[in-house]
Amino acid sequence: MTKEKKKLRAGVAVNIIGAIVILFAVFGVVVGFIGYVSFTTAFKEEYSVSTYHMADTATTLINGDHLEAYLAGDEAEEYQRTQNYLDIYCKKISVSLIYLIQVDRSDYGRFVSIFNSVDNSVDDSSYTPWELGHKRDTTNDEYRQKYESLYSGESAYETVYRTKVSDGVHPHVTTMVPVKNSSDEVVGILCVQRPIREIHDAQRPYLRRVAISTILLAVVASVFAALFIRRQFVKPIRKVANETARFAKENTKGEPLSGISRYRELAALAESIDTMETDMVSYIDNLTDITAEKERIGAELSLANEIQMNSIPNDFPAFPERKDFDIFASMDPAKEVGGDFYNFFMIDDDRIALVIGDVSGKGVPAALFMMVTNILITDRTLMGGTPAEILNFVNANICAHNKAEMFVTVWLGILELSTGKLTAANAGHEYPVIKRAGGSFEILRDKHGFVVGGLAESTYKDYELTLAPGDKIFVYTDGVPEATDANEGLFGQERMLAALNGVADGTPEEILKTVRREVDSFVKDAEQFDDLTMLCIEYKGQGEERS
Amino acid sequence: MLNIKKTVENGKAAFALEGRLDTVTAPDLEKEIMGSIDGVNELALDFAGLDYISSAGLRVLLATQKIMNGRGGMTVSNVTGSIMDIFEVTGFSEILTIVQAE
Repeated sequence: MTKEKKKLRAGVAVNIIGAIVILFAVFGVVVGFIGYVSFTTAFKEEYSVSTYHMADTATTLINGDHLEAYLAGDEAEEYQRTQNYLDIYCKKISVSLIYLIQVDRSDYGRFVSIFNSVDNSVDDSSYTPWELGHKRDTTNDEYRQKYESLYSGESAYETVYRTKVSDGVHPHVTTMVPVKNSSDEVVGILCVQRPIREIHDAQRPYLRRVAISTILLAVVASVFAALFIRRQFVKPIRKVANETARFAKENTKGEPLSGISRYRELAALAESIDTMETDMVSYIDNLTDITAEKERIGAELSLANEIQMNSIPNDFPAFPERKDFDIFASMDPAKEVGGDFYNFFMIDDDRIALVIGDVSGKGVPAALFMMVTNILITDRTLMGGTPAEILNFVNANICAHNKAEMFVTVWLGILELSTGKLTAANAGHEYPVIKRAGGSFEILRDKHGFVVGGLAESTYKDYELTLAPGDKIFVYTDGVPEATDANEGLFGQERMLAALNGVADGTPEEILKTVRREVDSFVKDAEQFDDLTMLCIEYKGQGEERS
Repeated sequence: MLNIKKTVENGKAAFALEGRLDTVTAPDLEKEIMGSIDGVNELALDFAGLDYISSAGLRVLLATQKIMNGRGGMTVSNVTGSIMDIFEVTGFSEILTIVQAE
């Protein structure tokens, strides 16, 4: 066998608290990210605008008409004065660089520096100022595009962010504004490079705050959730579990569970369990009563079976001292008691009475009816008379007291052992089977009267036949030919005759046991449906038997 | 299993039986007949579909026959061979009005 039982998961509370912690963690990450993005955006916006104002202010210091002259080395005094103003301004507004360049407008791919102010103290940087006329290639395409849009007048200013701290360059923002001459033409670009360490410096504490507050919130919420779940769900469920476990063990009504929870589902569960317990207890009580009653009835029936079996001769050999005949009979009720019966007894030293009968129906009613019939037949037979006279008397007596409309089929024979003369009457019973010495078993189609107990006015007729030594008579109830297999097939008369002829020369005991065996092998596992009764007598005569 | 088809009309009742009339099913037939026999003076039983009859079934027939004796009468029709054998063995063929229809 493989391991079938799934490992049980941890308790409900643990699972729910875990889920809440995870939920808060995800929530915290999402909130932190959104906060970080909007924080950064706002910060950049603010820097961009304020730096623009700084750059815009710086342009007022510059005489746009003289840029070409400065490059040519003219107006040196004015150039130096302007450079000094820019240096001072650069220090005042705490930016790293203020510089003015003139870009080659053919492809904006290189520029030449005009003014350049550096303040390395602001951001602990190490820039060296470019001298007048210093030529450089444009750093990249981003700058190229921005230069172009400034020269063309598309935008009032442009901003470039460098937030990654790499190769010695600190994070900074560079804002560029156009410098115009008196004819309002763009003649140069003034750039202000301002450190944005503040953003970086502010980011960490911000993220830390978000993380800490999220964790705190998660812990607090988890604790509350745990307490809540424990009180509202786990405790009631545990109560239910304990109660059901107790009930399974003890099978007695416990403390009512109703009221353990104010939640509809749990209340319904508790109520169902209360109801179930009440019902189960009452079922168990009922079952106990019924079982006791069954046992009582069973005991009574088994005693009744004993009484019934002892009301007929069942010790074999029945007449060990008699050599002139051999007899054997068997009776197997389908239930504890049955309505079939056989009987045989000596009327006097020379005559034996043979009886077989079958009461309509089965079980206790049939058994009571059978007892009455058997006693009536026995008593009346011992008083003398022919089988027909006896059956007339028995029928009249039974009909007088037969409110239940039950009846019984009877075959009654009286065999005179000295002569072999058999006198018999048949009240609606199965045909007897006879085997003449040396021959085979054959159905004896005897005269039939109506069943005993059916109609008060029924009368019966005797018939006679003479048995020779070695002859056998086999009588039976319909349980033999009507034994039924699982497919509702009947054993039938042919199979019965075949079974009989299979042991035609056997003793009555061997014959009955063979028929029974054949019936059993035909019926197999099907339940025995009808009582099954047989009687066989072999007449041997006065010591002159042929065998 | 026993199927009972019942028709009651103008004091005439007809029961067509199908299956087995044994200890288990005989009480059903008895209930059906006794429940609808009031005011009936002709009762017809059709045994065409009947496969088997046990002594418990015979008992119902006898009880019904006794009631119907005091009224118009009772007939049993389409009795098959094996059931006819049982009627003959038990003597029921003597007390029942058995009509072998076409």
